[in-house]
Amino acid sequence: MPVDPELQKPLGKLRNLLKLPRQPWPKQVRHDRSGLALLLACLAFSCVAVGDERSTSIPHGIVELVSAQETIQPGNALLLGLHFQLEKGWHIYWINPGDSGEPPRVEWRLPAGLRAGAIEWPAPSRLPVPPLMDYGYEGEVLLPVSVETASGLATGGEAALAADVKAIVCREVCIPAKAHLALSLPVRADRPHELGEMRAMFRAAQQALPKPAPASWRPSARDLGDHFELKLNTGHSASTAWFAPLEPLQIENAAAQKTVSTAAGMRLILQKSDQLSKPILHLRGVLVLSQGAFAIDAPVVPAKRVKEPRR
Amino acid sequence: MKRECASVLPLVLMAVSLPALAASVGQPAPNFTATDSNGKAYTLAAYHGRFVVLEWHNQGCPYTQKHYDSGNMERLQKEWTQKGVVWFTVISSAPGTQGYVTAAQENDYLHKMNAAPTAALLDPTGDLGHLYGAKTTPHMFIINPDGVLIYDGAIDDKPTTDAADISTARNYVSLALSEAMAGKPVSTSTSRPYGCSVKYAH
Repeated sequence: MPVDPELQKPLGKLRNLLKLPRQPWPKQVRHDRSGLALLLACLAFSCVAVGDERSTSIPHGIVELVSAQETIQPGNALLLGLHFQLEKGWHIYWINPGDSGEPPRVEWRLPAGLRAGAIEWPAPSRLPVPPLMDYGYEGEVLLPVSVETASGLATGGEAALAADVKAIVCREVCIPAKAHLALSLPVRADRPHELGEMRAMFRAAQQALPKPAPASWRPSARDLGDHFELKLNTGHSASTAWFAPLEPLQIENAAAQKTVSTAAGMRLILQKSDQLSKPILHLRGVLVLSQGAFAIDAPVVPAKRVKEPRR
Repeated sequence: MKRECASVLPLVLMAVSLPALAASVGQPAPNFTATDSNGKAYTLAAYHGRFVVLEWHNQGCPYTQKHYDSGNMERLQKEWTQKGVVWFTVISSAPGTQGYVTAAQENDYLHKMNAAPTAALLDPTGDLGHLYGAKTTPHMFIINPDGVLIYDGAIDDKPTTDAADISTARNYVSLALSEAMAGKPVSTSTSRPYGCSVKYAH
């Protein structure tokens, strides 16, 4: 596996210093003061658990396992997040990565009584790689994950939470990233407090999630041969609207999306993927407008049921 | 191996719509002539009557490395060329981008990897890549003996960089070739190609 040599250098030194075995993937303490402090603490107390950390360096960035709350209350959902911070110009991918790349994946290692849900994906950015188009996140992103907790969970102790994360970090080139992240939280019977320093970050992540589209929008799509026409009764026109599909191979990601204003709202012209060989029943995805992102599920009216437009 | 482009390429939103791509499953595969790493010219039309595989390649891409370092791609090349399939590895990386190689560098790589394509076609202008709409490395195409494109997509159904996934993956190329050679319809004729973006010239 190719490992960024820039990251390997200091890590190699650290390994020699601590006489650590070679890790299967790049793990190291952060390059900032907390990392130094941790390193010193490790040296002072013969700590060897370098791999069990809340945050780990990955190629061209850091990924951290964060919690929105100080404690776990049995029966109440726990909100966790994977916080990626990448160097300028580098990105990771949305659940549908578009024409290249792949989304981050996480395998949870949780104690009995805790069950992690799926990643809740914030609305992506479009990442043009002419002639291709990808969907993802540049710089910083928090991917929230809600964890169900059993009401019978024993209180008084600590729950050790761990996550194995795999991602591909790309700019013009791509580098695979793996991280083992760990976090312990006390299990308490009383209502958990929000972690103050995390509040703003989790609120921002919540804001970045696509909202359900209002029912009044009545999203629908027509299959018109080489394109789909996505119709939305938004009540207002929008010149900057764009749509990202949840499923690959439905639309040509890089094709320009034409917006047409209608009396009731708007229509979006989406060029079909030329790999789409079968009719589809639903066009699902995220519509990004200037006022935010909306989750869209538009039933598709098959081509044969569509009347030819009058000329 | 990793090579980074020092210049920051302008990321400009595409304002024009792409022309309809010529390569489409069920349609005649567009003809081309391209030169390989030994300076020999290959024309697709000359292989009428045989199955032809096109494999988009970038030796610096971790998805390509997954299939080469594990020996998976080389094994497929040997297996299918022994069964009479013509296998073209195509390199569309522009000069100065990841995966661009000179003819000599490519020959060294083929030797080192013990790779066995019929030929490695050098496409630094990206013309062949654009003609087929190649998006990723790898991105696989199969053309049947009638010259019709019968597969366009990923090498398999595990879109990761992990070589450990190969043993449990469904290999779409082997599946399509096996089915087509047995006179059966290809059950999966398109899939989302996965990998690094092809490093076209901008």
